[in-house]
Amino acid sequence: MRRRDAVYVAVGLCFGFMLLASGLARYDVIHRMLRFEDWDPYLIMASSIGTAMPLLWLLERRGWVTPFGGALSLKRLALESRRIYGGMVFGVGWAITGACPGTVSAMIGGGCVLGLAILGGVFLGLRAHMAMEEAQTGRAVVARAQARPEPAVAQGAGAGS
Amino acid sequence: MPVSNGILAWWIAGPAIGLCVVALYALANRHLGVTGAYGQLVRLLSRSRPDEPWRLWFLGGLLGGAAVAGVVLGFPQRGTAFGVLGSRVPLGVLVPLLLLGGVAMGFGARWAGGCTSGNGLTGCSARSAGGMGATMMFMVAAVVATAAMRLLVSL
Repeated sequence: MRRRDAVYVAVGLCFGFMLLASGLARYDVIHRMLRFEDWDPYLIMASSIGTAMPLLWLLERRGWVTPFGGALSLKRLALESRRIYGGMVFGVGWAITGACPGTVSAMIGGGCVLGLAILGGVFLGLRAHMAMEEAQTGRAVVARAQARPEPAVAQGAGAGS
Repeated sequence: MPVSNGILAWWIAGPAIGLCVVALYALANRHLGVTGAYGQLVRLLSRSRPDEPWRLWFLGGLLGGAAVAGVVLGFPQRGTAFGVLGSRVPLGVLVPLLLLGGVAMGFGARWAGGCTSGNGLTGCSARSAGGMGATMMFMVAAVVATAAMRLLVSL
């Protein structure tokens, strides 16, 4: 195990401990949150982002160079339609199970056997999306090939393959 | 430490979770997120090498840390206990329901490019427009779906 791997394990330990200790890995807490009967999860969200956002901003502004991963570059995703649709589907799953991908592992670590059913579903969902994406890129490649007529020689050569 | 019903106060847990995000970025330039780790496990299951092994170290730590918290503070959702949902729904319905919810989560998280940690927590902290958009959508969808669940299951 390299020193950088120890960093990942240590941060994982702290994160997992806090996910379970905060109550976020309990169905009842998330369910009550989404019914606006328990505001602590919103306070956890706000205070965690409120802690991380200014510190990341400061590190980015100072051009921080990390000891194990080179110059700091914050990963930012573009606002596209997939964030909207994917987020909606994800939110429904979150509401049904009272768990998210992080807290599923936390509840399994805490001894929740039923968490394995959720985790199994997450794997199936990931596989399904991968398969859909592969089918889409496959179709896109075919469509591009059909839209662009190939020279007669190349077509003849390609027919055998 | 202030603990009630085995739950640590939000004003300790929240900033501590935020510091996990900062530590991972400041030490190793990594964007904290959990769904990616499951993607690595899927790769392992289909016999291809993980391209981001760090995620597996992180997931291992997460499991261990949660286990420690469960021992220290206790955890009511052990075995087949599942809070109020478990008390309302028989096990034969609960398991497929949880599986179905898991499928929606896995599919949606990969579609959106992240989950509550990657888009919600870390994406918002990094001022990622896509992360913030996905977060708003999953919050709204979850609140609506919870209201629908209450009608269906009389929770």
